[in-house]
Amino acid sequence: MAKYLGARPLLSRIKDNLPIIIISVFAIFLFVAIYIKGGNAQIFNTIITGGLWALLAVGLALVFGVMNIPHFAHGESFMIGAYVAYFTFTPMQEYLYEKPNEFLSMIAPLGAILTAGIAGAILGILIEKMIFSPLRRRTKKDWIMNAFLLTVGLSFVLSNGANLVLGPNFRGISRYWDVDAVEIGGAYMSVDRLVAFAISMVTIGALWFFLRRTRVGRAIRAVSQDETGAQLVGINLNFIQTLTFSLATAMASISGASLLFLFQAYPTVGGTPLYYAWYVVMMAGLGNVVGAIIGGFIVAMLQTATQLFVAVSWTTVLPTVVMILVLLIAPSGIFGSEVKGVQEQ
Amino acid sequence: MLELKNINAGYDFLQVLWDVSFHVDEGEMVALIGPNGAGKSTTLRTIAGLIDPKSGDVLFHGKVINDEPAHMISRMGISYVSEKLNLFTGMSVQENLLLGAYAIREKEVQLETLAYIFELFPRLEERKDQLAGTMSGGERKMLAIARGMMSKPQLMLVDEPSLGLQPSLTSNVFSALKQLRERGVTVLIVEQNVNATLSFTDRAYVLEQGKIVLEGPSKEIKANKHVRNAYLGI
Repeated sequence: MAKYLGARPLLSRIKDNLPIIIISVFAIFLFVAIYIKGGNAQIFNTIITGGLWALLAVGLALVFGVMNIPHFAHGESFMIGAYVAYFTFTPMQEYLYEKPNEFLSMIAPLGAILTAGIAGAILGILIEKMIFSPLRRRTKKDWIMNAFLLTVGLSFVLSNGANLVLGPNFRGISRYWDVDAVEIGGAYMSVDRLVAFAISMVTIGALWFFLRRTRVGRAIRAVSQDETGAQLVGINLNFIQTLTFSLATAMASISGASLLFLFQAYPTVGGTPLYYAWYVVMMAGLGNVVGAIIGGFIVAMLQTATQLFVAVSWTTVLPTVVMILVLLIAPSGIFGSEVKGVQEQ
Repeated sequence: MLELKNINAGYDFLQVLWDVSFHVDEGEMVALIGPNGAGKSTTLRTIAGLIDPKSGDVLFHGKVINDEPAHMISRMGISYVSEKLNLFTGMSVQENLLLGAYAIREKEVQLETLAYIFELFPRLEERKDQLAGTMSGGERKMLAIARGMMSKPQLMLVDEPSLGLQPSLTSNVFSALKQLRERGVTVLIVEQNVNATLSFTDRAYVLEQGKIVLEGPSKEIKANKHVRNAYLGI
């Protein structure tokens, strides 16, 4: 009897977590397959790309969870980060070419990336105060649709603005750090890639600590769970919303800046990162920050596996197919129990 | 302490409150009773700043607070425990309580209040690491009231504390409210359980169709013929 009682909940627990179990098995399978075919090099590649998607997707998840905005101008924050890093790094590089200084040339790239992050934070505040805050004061009706359309419009304005002011040219650098690649487990990784990965992990870790352990971070989570409740305990919604948007924009700018050597800076550079970040959050569940981190690595694995086993030109196809399959089985994503942040009036 | 002057309020084109005026004095426990849809919750929501009145004034300590946003009203010392509770369901009991003290920046004061709350509601201490969303209805209500107390309010607005609770839990909630009053907190309570509420409040207002139709000491209200017929079923 007791055995029977014990067995039932286990079965139903498996049933409840079916999407998570399927995707975990699938992820382990992919990981092993990538390792067998590509070895360490491809595994590192996957992890590094995964860190990038995770950093971008966390921003999207945060903006959706706290503000209910399906953010389609996230890629433009990436683009602006890339431009800011380019325009701060190249003068420094020229200066260092004339007057070589080993210490400064180690620090300069970090300075450029940090500048891009600060510029992104300021841009986020401006966008929130000038666009979303007025919309929120005017009406909350059809908020998600209106906010979505605004972000799409914003994306056009920003990328075409960049085109108008800076032209369609690609502006890039070959590398941030002029040093040899590092050998890890038989695979050679450039320092730029390693640092880009480290930056994304540190940024995600810092965000995690901020959300979990600080008073304001707790308030951000409170707003995402119950806006009215948050107001009732004295949380200023406007402040939290501006802060959240600013954080998300800064994170996208940082990833745009730290990947300048890979993506270059040009007006439409944000497209690809935006769509991958959206694959991640749709698959993981909208508004789920932890899901976004795990999802980032799953999408990266799918990409690498496609490149290894199918063809490079199919890289975007398979993640999309998997995303559609996931949504067919679990409409609110793998880790999304229900779309919590949404409040339709 | 709190005064409403000729408040007209409602939602979009639907006016709910018509010329509502009443006052709550320091240290009092006042009940607002009335049938469903009379506008009791709307009154509390207006005071808490979740709805802006169309006309009239809400005064707190003689200062007009109509235009203040909800979070500022909470920081002034008015705590609203809503009917829907508005708990942060994905967070632990302890996190919910600490968020209740969001406006208090001093860590020691926060922890002191938390210790006091745990003394008052030992049940919450037992469950402090449990997610608020997984608690039973009675525990959630306790948590909502406790969270409301965490900001050390001068005035608490409590909306339907007994709604949906079994009788034994109801008396728990009521005794918690009585303890609040002994601590010197002013309470404005909206209740359906008219008989019990009138027995432990000082004064009461009867709200019908958005208008105050009767007011007076709770004992007199309880003895009133209209109230006895309509609410007490005697």
